[in-house]
Formats: sequence, C-alpha cells, structure tokens
Amino acid sequence: MEIWRLPISASQRGKLISAGYTSLSSLSSISSSDLARELKVSESEAMNILKVASHSRGSETSNASCSIVEVLDTFQWWAGAQSAWDMLHDEESLMHITTSSADLDNILGGGIHCKEVTEIGGVPGIGKTQLGIQVAVNVQIPNDFGGLGGKAIYIDTEGSFMVERAFQIAEACIEDMSEYNRFLRKDFQECKIKMLPQDILENIFYFRICSYTEQIALINYLDKFLSEHKDVKVIVVDSVTFHFRQDFDDMALRTRVLSGMALKLMNLAKRFSLAVVLLNQVTTKHTEASFQLALALGDSWSHTCTNRIVLYWNGNERYAYIDKSPSLRSASAAYSVTARGIRNSSSSCKRIKMM
Amino acid sequence: MARLANLETEYPVLDSTVRNFCASHGIFSVEDFLIHDLYMLAAFAEQNDSSERLKEGIAQVLSVIDDMHQPWLNGMELLEDAKRNKHVFPTGIQGIDLLLGDGIRVGQLTELVGPSSSGKTQVCLRTASNVARNHMVLYLDTGNSFSPQCIAYFLGKTISPSSAQAKNQFLQKVMSNISCHSVFDIFAMFDVLHQLESYLRCQDGRGGCQMRLLIVDSISSLISPVLGSSSTLGVINSKLMDTARALMTSAGYLLKKLAHQHNLAVLIINHTVGGEGGSSKPALGDSWKCIPHSRLFLSCDRGSNTYNVSILRHPSMASGKAARFVI
Repeated sequence: MEIWRLPISASQRGKLISAGYTSLSSLSSISSSDLARELKVSESEAMNILKVASHSRGSETSNASCSIVEVLDTFQWWAGAQSAWDMLHDEESLMHITTSSADLDNILGGGIHCKEVTEIGGVPGIGKTQLGIQVAVNVQIPNDFGGLGGKAIYIDTEGSFMVERAFQIAEACIEDMSEYNRFLRKDFQECKIKMLPQDILENIFYFRICSYTEQIALINYLDKFLSEHKDVKVIVVDSVTFHFRQDFDDMALRTRVLSGMALKLMNLAKRFSLAVVLLNQVTTKHTEASFQLALALGDSWSHTCTNRIVLYWNGNERYAYIDKSPSLRSASAAYSVTARGIRNSSSSCKRIKMM
Repeated sequence: MARLANLETEYPVLDSTVRNFCASHGIFSVEDFLIHDLYMLAAFAEQNDSSERLKEGIAQVLSVIDDMHQPWLNGMELLEDAKRNKHVFPTGIQGIDLLLGDGIRVGQLTELVGPSSSGKTQVCLRTASNVARNHMVLYLDTGNSFSPQCIAYFLGKTISPSSAQAKNQFLQKVMSNISCHSVFDIFAMFDVLHQLESYLRCQDGRGGCQMRLLIVDSISSLISPVLGSSSTLGVINSKLMDTARALMTSAGYLLKKLAHQHNLAVLIINHTVGGEGGSSKPALGDSWKCIPHSRLFLSCDRGSNTYNVSILRHPSMASGKAARFVI
C-alpha cells in the first residue's frame, strides 16, 4: 500500500516521500524517534504517522491468511457493508416524515426518507421555509400516531425562521393529532395528547449562521452534537445556498467546499439514521436560446443529493415535482400553504392577485 | 520502494560500506537507484577499494528490482486469458446491450457520465441485479442512492409468476449476493478497495460464487472535494492540485488493476459540469479522460421515460454510436 493513501497532511506526505519512504512496508521497522529525526518533525507527529500506517497495515495483514468461511464473514461484515437483502428489510421498517399534505406524501413514497439527503428548491415565496418548519414539527409526532417521535435541528442561514409561525404550525399539528385520536382510535382508550406547542418548540434545536465558514464549522460540529443527542431525526438547512452565492470569487473552492459539505451530511444521515433536508434557491440558466430556471449552486451540486424536489407555480397553484430520486418515479403533486401549515391544495385560488 | 537501510536485514550484502558508497552519490533508496546512471555508478565502484562488495551490492539491488515487475505475457497468453476469464456481462437493458455488443466486459473500466437524473444509478442497479444472479457484486455508494426496492423490482420483473415463497427465496438468494458499502471520502474508498484486494486474492484460489462486478457510485463526488481547477494561481493551490490529481489517477489505476488481475467488471459513475458554450462535459477533467476503458454518455428526455446513451469511448465499438432505452 502506498503512502498516497494514508490520511495524513500533504506536508507530512511530502516529507515522507523526500526521505525515501514511499510504501508502508518501509515504515514497518522504524521507531518513532528515528522517524522524527529523519523527517525533522516532532516525536508526537512521527508517532501519529506510524499509528496511521500500522492501522492501515493491520487491516491488510488480518486478511492475509483466511479460510473460506472466514473470508465470507470478513467480506460481508467489515465496517458497514450490508447485503441488499438486509437493506431491503431495514428499509421496510424505516419511518418517513410526513409533510402533512397527503398528495405530497404520496409522490414522496410516504414522506421525507430517513438516511437520505433531500434537496428542495424553488422560487422565492413558494413555501420552502414553510415546508422546512412543517417537517421540523412533524418529525416530533409520537410513534403512536405514525411519526418518528424525534427532535429536529434547524440551521437558519437567511434569518427566515419565524418562531410565531412555528408555534402556529405546532398548535395546528397537535389539534390534528387529537382529531385523529378522536376519529380513528375510538375503540382504544382515548389517551389525551399531553403535548403542548411549547414542547414541540423546545425540541427544535435552532442554529443561526452568518457566513459560510460558520456553516462548515457547524456541519463539522454536528457529529459531536448528534452523538450527544441521539434522538434528533431531521436536520433542516434553510437555505444551503445563501452564503455561497455572494463573495465567492473562487468557483473551484466553492465546488470543493460544497462537495465536502454534502459528503459530510450524507455521512451524518447514514450513521445516525436521520433525514437531511436542504432548501435551495433558483437561478436562471441560459440553455440554447431560452432562459430556464434551475436550482442554484451549479451542476456539481445537483449530483450530491440523493433526492431533489422542485417547487413551482402552475397557474395559481403550488406544485412539487420529484426531479431526482433513486426509487421514486417522477411525479408532481399540488399542495398549499395555509394558516395551519402545509396541506393538500383545495381548488380555491391562494395566490395574491396583482392589481 | 524500500530504503537501502531497511533492505539490509533481508540482503546482508547491502552493508554499511555499500550504503555509504551509495549515499556519497545521493542514493538512499531503491527508487533513487533506478534514476541514477548505473554505468557511472559501476565505473565509480570499480575505482573504489572494496569494488567486489560494491558490485555485489549493486547486483543485489538490481535483482530486487527485477522481482518487482509484472510477469511478461505474449499475445497468445493474453488471448487465452481473454477467452477464459474476460467474459461479457449483459446489463439487462436491451438498448445498452445492443449498443455495447452484449454488455460490459470483465477486466475493463466502464464509465457512465451524464447530467443529474439521467438514469446512471438506475443502469447500475439494473446491471447489479442482473449480474447478482450468478456472481457477487460490490456496490460502493457515496450518495445513499442504493435502493434495494429497485433491485427487488427489477428481479421481480424477470422471473415468471410463482408462489410468493419461491419468489421470496429467489430474491433472498440473489440479493444476498449484492453487498453495499457507503464511503464518504476518498481515503475510505482506498481502504475498502485495499480490503477488497486481499479478499479477492483469497477468493481466486477457490471456486463457488465469485465477485465479478464492482460499482462505484459516484467517483466524482469522492474526488470533487479535493480537486481544484487549473485556473487558480498560487503555490498552495498547485500543490493541492497535484495531490488531488495523484489521488485520482491512483484510484483509477487501482480500479484497473483490480479489474484485470481479479477478473472484475468495474462500473463507475461520473457527473457532468458546464463546458464552453453551455454544453456539458464530463467532470474530473482531462487527466481522468483516458483512464476508463469505455465511456458512455447518458441523458434523459424530459417528460418521457426514455433515455439516450451514446459512446464517447470504447475499445472495440465506434464512438458516436447512440441508442435509446427505457428502464
């Protein structure tokens, strides 16, 4: 195995190579003090390098001598590999986060999926923040009512989170739950809903971000935060674009930063089994002769999310369209934004008519 | 390549006299040895007092180097190997199989390029479900887009209707052959590929169900966080570029080596970026362009369910040929 593949800093790698250590076997028989002297680094750095190298080598030698049964076992079970059959059964038991609009839930296959990163984008005023707040509230629906009973993290980059609106949506959600309780569970003992809107608000962890460095720092910190708060089930980022649209002269840096951020979010979604919802803005793209609306942040960003939903106006109705999904068919559904949150659309016109 | 000092334990002829002589010419490792002018070195050794030892030492190092290269093969042996081991796997999608002349080939790296939502993951899932009937498949997933329901759906379409239990057993048998592993950074991918290499070395000896397909979805999202662009100036950026390009080509060569030595078909997914004039071109740049053996460009007709595929590069089919398919 080559030195290239060790996760050490570029300067350490350069020093190792110029001193002649280009493969792991050359590092096997040297002590840390000798290495420190050769590379002219501190002894703790040398010890670190040797630790990383022996860790990588350890995984190699452990598989060197293997019997048939051992081989099969080590293959299936090292560090997170799963067979498709097991995953199929896991997926069937995964819950979805409802959006409170039955049509929207239908095209989403039950709601927002856990363990996946869903990107939702649309023109200003279409209801992205409303959808974000609705998801942050709906994730807290208890298990008895078909929800996840988890907490939410809301990362606000634009300052568009309105606490009063969240309170309103939470109230409406609790009222809906007691209605459901009354109509569908009347043969069971009617258990009073003990949740209050204040409880729902208490379970939303709110972070306000003012620059892109804060955004990246927060995503890095979320690893530790989620290990302490294991009941968080959704992360909403509203919006992921805002700090990356201005002040970025270096587009290559932006692509690198965004791809790195997307991979970290994927990692969090997979490890902690939660849903990640990223809200995005739109931009105009000049294709052939016409201008088209497309989601912001460019082509490379469009590949980084698992699912993509585009929200758009059709006449006077709000529609959601599944643009990209590994398991769902492309479909649209109408929804509306009401005083109680996101709901199915009714036929009456909700858009303000311009005089 | 090892340092000469470390080789002393195995080859005691490389003692301190030899090493001091080499050090006086700036040679500290076997790699330095290779780039040095060996005639000059031999001439200097001749003039030295202990010329015999030095010549023995030089001969020893040369024999170490000789052991390191791959064995020579002639054309007949290559043909034998191709006929015996390098089969072709159909993807299960008629349009693509017709275009490629039966499917993707073992021992080659096939790249699927396309804009977002153009069917790349679906093609991979379809191919995986097809190959998994008889062989094992490893799916490296970077975007949590591996969908077991899609695999079950594709498999369900192909078998004749029978009892639910028989169908279940069939699904279990085939789907247990597919292993999905999530990797979120390039070093993790190298780890997995390295472990895979050790596994394949053990597997080659025995018979039974063997791994024949490796899918990486997608390699571009692993390399994008480290790859910059050549238009940015600055020493730091160019160092970053070199490391990133080295990682990228290293990954490509490792995949090709796995494909050839262990008879795997490798399918990788790449995405597109904007090129000049609004057209899209494959990501990862010119350095990556020559690494995959075949490149297929996929696109989707908005509104309908049909996809277009065209050949950008293929060892045996003409490039520019196109076809349509449905999933």
